[in-house]
Amino acid sequence: MSILSFCQWLQFTGFFTAIRGSWYVYPAIMSTHLAGIALFGGMILAVDLRLLGVALRKRPVADVVNQLRVLKRIGFILVATCGILMFGSKAEEYYYNAFFRTKMVVLSLIFVHALVFRGSVYRRAAEFDNTGRIPGRAKLAAALSLLLWTCMIIAGRGIGYIEPPLEKIHAMIPPVRGAAGF
Amino acid sequence: MFLAEANPLNASELIFPTLEVIHIAGFAVLVGTIAIVDFRLLGLGLRRQKPAEVARDLGPWTLIGLTMVLLSGPLMFSSDPDMYYLNRSFQVKMALLLVAIVFHYTIHRKVSLSEAAGFGSKAVACISLALWVSIVFGGIFIAFV
Repeated sequence: MSILSFCQWLQFTGFFTAIRGSWYVYPAIMSTHLAGIALFGGMILAVDLRLLGVALRKRPVADVVNQLRVLKRIGFILVATCGILMFGSKAEEYYYNAFFRTKMVVLSLIFVHALVFRGSVYRRAAEFDNTGRIPGRAKLAAALSLLLWTCMIIAGRGIGYIEPPLEKIHAMIPPVRGAAGF
Repeated sequence: MFLAEANPLNASELIFPTLEVIHIAGFAVLVGTIAIVDFRLLGLGLRRQKPAEVARDLGPWTLIGLTMVLLSGPLMFSSDPDMYYLNRSFQVKMALLLVAIVFHYTIHRKVSLSEAAGFGSKAVACISLALWVSIVFGGIFIAFV
């Protein structure tokens, strides 16, 4: 089974056909996706800015990193779930979308970032408080995190700007009043 | 009269999406920093810090986010004012935005900077979160109503 045929099968399941058929469910999922980015993206920002030493400077690094960890994970699950729901309802269209593919590459780089820096930075925040200085690798991790998440926003917004190759799409795309995007 | 065609913003295809990205990043900073304070008021997240400490530390970043959305938003509006003006979702969004900004710099500010904790501050946190999330919904639905 190729990725394309999987996408075609997925979007024609009853569940995703129903999402596609409603005028408000898809935008509501997209809104939840964006609201999740707003609510929980701020926590990624707070952790990164603390590691860079530009925000929450009077608060211990370990406090900021450790206390926001669980909420960040809940936020990621919420945002990713909405993303999967949007993808599933128009899987074939997303499959052909260059910005979507780019976004998935960036997302996998974010997982690599987590694997690389979890042990060396995020689990050792208390050490930075004890020594009183934040090492270069922690600042590098924070800067790369901000860069990668900015790329996620750019690629995510870009998805709406690519016209689907209608001759290749099998699912009916409901007509949308107004331009793509906001 | 304002003509969309005469607006230099519509001269390049890249300007509008760039404004949108600034708008999204901006509201992530704006709403994200407010949400950290709200979650703290609800007893989640930065619990070892006082709400007032969190609110004071993040206040300047909230203002940076607010500046980003208030610069990019009106520019996007100017690209097609008639469409936005008549859009029901946009109208609701603007009303909620006005309420949210006033609420944030009056009641929310007073509660988050005070030492008192209790039902009142939790209610304020919930109202704040609900307002900002509704505004995000209002923004997305502009393209769908």
